[in-house]
Amino acid sequence: MAWLTPHIATQIVDFGSAMLLLTCFAIVAQRRLSACVDLFALQSLFLAMTAALVAFFTDTRHIYIAAALTVVVKVIVIPRVLKGVIERLNVTRELVMKVNVPASLLICGALVMLAFFITEPIIPFGHLLTRDSLAIALAIVLIGFFTMIARQKAVTQLIAFLMMENGLFLGATAATYGMPLIVELGVFFDVLVAALIAGIYTNRLQDTFDSVDTTRLNELKA
Amino acid sequence: MTGQTVMLAVSLLLLAPLVAGCLSLLVSGSRWLHVTNLISIGTLVGAEMVIARAVFAQGSVTAFADLVYIDALSSVILFIIGTVGLACSLYIRSYMDEQVARGVIAPKRLNLFFFLFHMFLFAMVLATVANSLGVQWVAIEATTLATTFLIAFWRRRESLEAGWKYLILCSVGISLALFGVVLMYYSSLRVLGDVSAALNITQLQQVAAQLDPHIVKLAFIFLFVGYGTKVGLVPMHSWLPDAYTEAPAPVAAMLAGVLETVAVYAILRCRGIADQAVSPEFTGGLLALFGLISFTLAAFFILVQHNYKRLFAYSSIEHMGLAMVGFGVGGTIGNFGGFFHLVNHAFAKSLAFFAAGNIHRRFKTVEIDEVRGLTTVLPWTAMALLISGLALAALPPFALFNSELQILTALSSSGLPREWTQPGTRFPVVLLLLCGVVAFAGLLYRITGMVWGSAPKGIVHGEQWSVGHIPIVLLGSVLVGFCLALPDFMRELFEAASALLARR
Repeated sequence: MAWLTPHIATQIVDFGSAMLLLTCFAIVAQRRLSACVDLFALQSLFLAMTAALVAFFTDTRHIYIAAALTVVVKVIVIPRVLKGVIERLNVTRELVMKVNVPASLLICGALVMLAFFITEPIIPFGHLLTRDSLAIALAIVLIGFFTMIARQKAVTQLIAFLMMENGLFLGATAATYGMPLIVELGVFFDVLVAALIAGIYTNRLQDTFDSVDTTRLNELKA
Repeated sequence: MTGQTVMLAVSLLLLAPLVAGCLSLLVSGSRWLHVTNLISIGTLVGAEMVIARAVFAQGSVTAFADLVYIDALSSVILFIIGTVGLACSLYIRSYMDEQVARGVIAPKRLNLFFFLFHMFLFAMVLATVANSLGVQWVAIEATTLATTFLIAFWRRRESLEAGWKYLILCSVGISLALFGVVLMYYSSLRVLGDVSAALNITQLQQVAAQLDPHIVKLAFIFLFVGYGTKVGLVPMHSWLPDAYTEAPAPVAAMLAGVLETVAVYAILRCRGIADQAVSPEFTGGLLALFGLISFTLAAFFILVQHNYKRLFAYSSIEHMGLAMVGFGVGGTIGNFGGFFHLVNHAFAKSLAFFAAGNIHRRFKTVEIDEVRGLTTVLPWTAMALLISGLALAALPPFALFNSELQILTALSSSGLPREWTQPGTRFPVVLLLLCGVVAFAGLLYRITGMVWGSAPKGIVHGEQWSVGHIPIVLLGSVLVGFCLALPDFMRELFEAASALLARR
């Protein structure tokens, strides 16, 4: 494959990371909960593809395993669980937002700039192939963090958390070509269990409070 | 001592809670659940003793192809996990049985409780002995997952709320720590090359001086914020009072006494590496600054509490902040004071939550104003509350006063690390003293109000002796004993651990 110069490989990986970032913005802009879940599944698919590409270009076997696990856990299992949870809910949209969509998107744009600013001093040390992905990964983590604060439905908060996790995984792939396998397996296990637990919680909140609006969770005041 | 004995001890340390957790799902009947629990925790304590001896003899223990690494620092934490875990197990015996007898929970749910309790223990032990920073992260996140249902165990509205808040805040916080771990790996790969051991503490400590300071600085900030959320340092503390109030008393005791300590341990571990790559001034300054903020704010929050469980929760934030100041300032005295403070706080706070559990069961309220005349209603509990309260208020001769004094001495002799304040500033010392007095007065005022006075009408008087009183008496006498002397092996353990931290 003579056409596959390192330069083009970098471009392809950058493209994959950029698609992840793009889906983040789509999730922030989306009000319908089930569409958010679909977008999250899409983002995870992009993540798996990017990881597989990195694995292919660098010939690192164990990233393939992580990519396959991403497909199973984050593209298939977790979205299914979330869909099941959403079906039981009486509200399917984010109705009231603390920060409206246009303002959220602007803030997210600023967060991306912040991420590039923070990582600027350390990016030159990275591998050539995935240099810019580290900044994008931090941007995704920050956007997930922001979404968690700005949205009120338990499901959206959960998706935001998973988005952060995707960003972290991209960061691990980008910065270091994956973590040691034992750590990666552990992280997957934790994410899966966290998602299941949060799903059970959402059901219980629905049963007990008749709502999954976390602003109703205000009985514990100092 | 042979290597095989130590290996056996290490495997028992990890297997005991794991096996007991699985057994808890299988056996039926509360008697067998408690027996499993006690055997498991007994094994844990026994294994710890063997390991602690080996650590004394060899300096450190590695096992299972370098997956496990235990030194004096981890031994201190294991000691706290074991002792507080044992006390909790004994307390659970009477506490949980009473809840079942009163019909608060179905007998079946006891199995779930013990399963989660053991998983919680397992995750904490794993976090303490893991050699890899990555595995440590996984284990600390696992503690969040195991405890979230324990906090929401009563399934009331408030407990669901507290559990959700805890799950979300801690998961998010800890995600940031994972980014820190990734960055740490990123920096170590450049020195060590692409090896699976590049996250191992043993490896990182050797090459720490060659790591890139920019990356490690960033990594440490992320790790500190992430694990700091679990410690409950001030900007990230809002889950803590809710969780402690809603959790069943033995769980609250474990959260306050042990989990916070494990999170502190994770921070100290990362600090040991970051110190050599960046500078002790930077990392120590971060610790001391956040510790000071936590201490100050929590001291004032103590004044306005009307709920005794929240009172203890804020006192936890206060004491953790103080221990952080000790570790941040560092030096032999600072670190020693920090460790001593951690141990004292773990004992006193679990005793306080045991007492709170007893009071709550009798008075059916968490309002301080509605609890009066404990000396006549629950004499043993009154004694326990008084001892733990006085200890937590750091009244001399209680050992918390000693450790506070040590931390204060360290702070006033070397001041906050240079990078953060001007040399010779006396302000932090004054602030610490002032807030110490505020917390002292607040805690003492609330607790004496509960202990004396005449009991409200309709409350049954008298306290029946039960298994749950054994840990109360034991912890109480340990706290009183610490007034008189610190056992030699503990002093040596603390000294060894402080020497590890102070190594530059």
